[in-house]
Amino acid sequence: MTELLVKNACVIDPLNRISMEIMDISIRDGRIVDSVSAAAEVIDTHGCLTLPGGIDSHSHVCGTKVNFGRYMSPEDMRAGRTPRSGKMHVTSGYYVPTTYGNSYRYSRMGYTTVLEGAMAPLEARHTHEEFTATPHQDMLANTLFDGNWAIMEAVRDRDVRRTAAIVAWTLSAVKGYSIKLTNPGGTEAWGWGEDLTSIHDLVPNFNVTPAEIITTMIQANELLHLPHSVHLHCNNLGKPGNYQTTLETFDLVPDNNNARQTLYATHAQFHSYGGTTWRDINSQAEEIARSVNAKPQIVMDMGQIMFGRTMTMTADGPMEFNLYCLHHNKWSNHDVELETGSGIIPVLYSKKSLVNCVMWAIGLELALLTRNPYQCLLATDNPNGAPFVKYPEIIGLLMSKRYRDEEFATLHDGTGQRTVVSSLDREMDWNEIAIMTRAGQAQALGITAQGKGHLGVGAEADIAIYPIRCRDVDPATEYRKVVEGFQKTMYTIKRGRVVARDGDVIVEGANNTFWVNPSVPDEFSVASDPEFVKKFEEYYTVRMSNYPVQDVYLPRGKCIRTEMNL
Amino acid sequence: MIVSDVVCPFCGCLCDDLELEVVGDRIVRVKNGCSLAEATFMNDTRLPAPIRRTTTGWEEISYDEAVKETADILKDADRPLLYGWSSTHGESQSVGVHIAERIGAVIDNTSTVCHGPSILAIQEVGHPGCTLGQVKNRADVIIYWGCNPTEAHPRHMSRYTTYATGFFVPDAHMERTVIVVDTRRNDTVNIADEFLQVEPGGDYAVLSALRAIVRGKELVIPQKVAGISKEQLIRVAGICKNAKFGAIFFGLGLTMSRGKYKNVRNAIELTDELNRHTKFVISPMRGHGNVYGSNEVFTWMTGYPFAVDFARGIAFYNPGETTAVDILRRGECDAALIVASDPGANFPRTAAAHLAKIPTVVIDPHVNATTALSRIHIPCTAAGIDAAGTAYRMDGVPIRLKKVIERGYPDDAVILKKIYDRLNGGWDHD
Amino acid sequence: MPQGVEVEHKGSPVYRASVSVCYMNPVDLMDLGIEEGARVVLTSRAGRIVLTTWTAEGVNRGEVFVPMGPYANHIISAETHATGMPDFKSQVVDVEVTEEPVRSVGELMEEIGGLRYDRQ
Repeated sequence: MTELLVKNACVIDPLNRISMEIMDISIRDGRIVDSVSAAAEVIDTHGCLTLPGGIDSHSHVCGTKVNFGRYMSPEDMRAGRTPRSGKMHVTSGYYVPTTYGNSYRYSRMGYTTVLEGAMAPLEARHTHEEFTATPHQDMLANTLFDGNWAIMEAVRDRDVRRTAAIVAWTLSAVKGYSIKLTNPGGTEAWGWGEDLTSIHDLVPNFNVTPAEIITTMIQANELLHLPHSVHLHCNNLGKPGNYQTTLETFDLVPDNNNARQTLYATHAQFHSYGGTTWRDINSQAEEIARSVNAKPQIVMDMGQIMFGRTMTMTADGPMEFNLYCLHHNKWSNHDVELETGSGIIPVLYSKKSLVNCVMWAIGLELALLTRNPYQCLLATDNPNGAPFVKYPEIIGLLMSKRYRDEEFATLHDGTGQRTVVSSLDREMDWNEIAIMTRAGQAQALGITAQGKGHLGVGAEADIAIYPIRCRDVDPATEYRKVVEGFQKTMYTIKRGRVVARDGDVIVEGANNTFWVNPSVPDEFSVASDPEFVKKFEEYYTVRMSNYPVQDVYLPRGKCIRTEMNL
Repeated sequence: MIVSDVVCPFCGCLCDDLELEVVGDRIVRVKNGCSLAEATFMNDTRLPAPIRRTTTGWEEISYDEAVKETADILKDADRPLLYGWSSTHGESQSVGVHIAERIGAVIDNTSTVCHGPSILAIQEVGHPGCTLGQVKNRADVIIYWGCNPTEAHPRHMSRYTTYATGFFVPDAHMERTVIVVDTRRNDTVNIADEFLQVEPGGDYAVLSALRAIVRGKELVIPQKVAGISKEQLIRVAGICKNAKFGAIFFGLGLTMSRGKYKNVRNAIELTDELNRHTKFVISPMRGHGNVYGSNEVFTWMTGYPFAVDFARGIAFYNPGETTAVDILRRGECDAALIVASDPGANFPRTAAAHLAKIPTVVIDPHVNATTALSRIHIPCTAAGIDAAGTAYRMDGVPIRLKKVIERGYPDDAVILKKIYDRLNGGWDHD
Repeated sequence: MPQGVEVEHKGSPVYRASVSVCYMNPVDLMDLGIEEGARVVLTSRAGRIVLTTWTAEGVNRGEVFVPMGPYANHIISAETHATGMPDFKSQVVDVEVTEEPVRSVGELMEEIGGLRYDRQ
């Protein structure tokens, strides 16, 4: 039995409606409890900001395309390298760090749970191997279904139950957590080098539209009672004028769940462009925020870009190819049979580029214009918009108009005409930031039931203690302190153990992987459907019996069972 | 006993549809495998016990002694080299990286003399590829460049390309055009629709010519490029541009001949160019069953796919400096651990000779050429036969190798872990 | 006469039996005055090795094809030109007929300081 007492913490715990209260937190055997004995180890924070451990709801850190990004970029590996030190292994990489690099840097920032943005089911084993090598964060995997042949056939047949059954079999086979759709239908078109331009375009050879895929998958998701909603990377990412597609997509979404959103729209910044070409591109964040403000069933994350070099990597193969045609940088592509695609290419976001400046503004506008912070979460689609180590700077920008204005003054001077950020006075407060970086994610991902995202009794003791005395700091003017404070915790506690102290990770990790096993009545199960099995064996290049991820890959897996709702 | 859906660990194809008949601790029949698979599973002669070289011959030693002495050798070395890794599973490869990091060693894998140049090219221009099932289901044009799948990857064509039935290519080879490019008429040429016999060292020029034609600049091409007629080049470029889905597979013909990684780079850039007209992909034909796995594991742990040097305390990568052949050639390493590979046979003589001059330990199920150059050889399981573990197919798909029989050998991951523990301070407990 | 040597990776597990050979164009064999099965010694700047000849029409005139293995490596230089990869496919050699025997792999290893292990 191990006990820990965190004293004099200035706690912000939005899910329990606690805001800047000085209190003690008692921890026993990894969970928060009412009280502990006198034998407990004591940490006195002296009134420092104490939050639930950070949760990243969309980050590309583990798996095939991430590793592609690493091994094609030795120049980036050199940029971010650190030596072995104490318990910390060697790390390499700045925008695509190695797994230990990711884990230590997240831990230093107080993050204890991460959802991997995209995992192709066929290559899930790779993602899980890298999860184990990201030892200080509990991991969850968004599982890609956007180009899935069996799904598209079921959608075409308007068979929601079958769609749900395929999702159920696949999620439990590859130990995934949630449904991810990236450019739905578009990734299959990319199998032939094509793309779709509207959610009502037909996917070649499959005769379904993205709209149909999205609505059917939403129904299937709710039928299976999955903890997270459908997680969508809308069609037409990155194209001027694409905000129309985004609004049309949002209009498809019913309000089918009381506990959480019905659609999680990820990296919304990339989907909020007005205009018709790169020349007249402008921000339509207002329209997007207006739609979200009127729709409690939608949660988005910012997808903020920050200036500098980074790596783009998504399942959106055609989009990445377009970037290659634009910039002629080194481009990798990896389509996954019967399932999805991916592309990887480095980019440079520059203040000299009007387009990039507009993109920067849009991300901030989305956050500032969305009334309810639970509906617009902080993320950069790491590393696509920026490496996650930039989150503290984003926090600083959201909390301080002055900081925004100072940054804005260094941008391309045409930015003001295309964006509204310079006219927005809103400054997020500590509570809103806590929602945008942990409470909101926990709710959106459906992991509050697992004890994540809050500090109430019964919660997992994942805690971040930052060297910030929030009562003494005015974030609107002292944004430097805010940024520095969020970069490095005094303590990061994971399941009741101090794992990071003043920037150094001090123990070997032992993370959990959360996955979902939705059960489906036998008569609907696809594993015993001869048609499903026949097609699987004929068109995949691995045998169905070799496809599922064996238990050995999740040394500390946490399975969440759900029941199909008939 | 019949075991089905067995994964053959031998080559980069990782065929996973084999059926084995097992009697006791022996595999007596292999169904669905090629002749390389049959030999792998049935001609599996092992070194019975660890051996150590003496002044007069070889003596058997215990595993504990072997582990202890290996740890001592590595601990005492100033610049140890850990090489090989390609035929064992990811679990061992991870421990290997941990050992290298712990003792400041250089760790390299067999890509260094195989597709290392492909990796160098990818690091310059990227890799537009896909999983093999995309090729099987869609490709109507297949190009084999500088490789001989008929001999080196015998089931590649029947499982993934020419003869495989695909969703969009139900008539398989009737609907596919096969183009072979090589310096000589190898066996694969027999099934080709077009054969480009290129002069040795001429691949780069041919690739440049094709790129020029694809871009509409055929006027600059001379009548013959590296032994191939302009007419044939134009015809082949036309086949590529008009393909619905083209796939290039390339091998050591590009990586080993003059230009090396520049040849591969040019082929990748041709693929990029073709993507502006249609769908095209390119993939290396990886040789060893799990060499791609060693690239993947090294990369997510250290940032680099091969030739990783920990001597400075950081992960450092510089092919030509930190690659195994160069380190051996310069006589730079003073101890070597060779795992699941045979540099004695596959490295140039002067590099292999250095292994005999320094204390070299081999961890491998089979006696090989390197055994003769070593001081200690520790036999272990063979991944995919008597040990389960992860392997990565040539297209990056991870598959779990099965343990089919038990022969009483320790898993090399276990042996390596014991060595690691001793290096971490355990040796005081003798 | 100067020739080119090509080395190919032969994945077969019985390769040792087949790597002590070199494939030559039948016309070149005729020029040397030998038949398939006779032995030749290949000499490069890096070394010399005795191999058994086989004919292969697919091999061009002026080229010798030696499968990847310790025999080929006996005459390949370890220079990699900073790529890590030796010049396996562009080695120039002289070819002469010889009566010398083909050595075993064990002998080759012993020549470079090894000690063969023959027990099974």
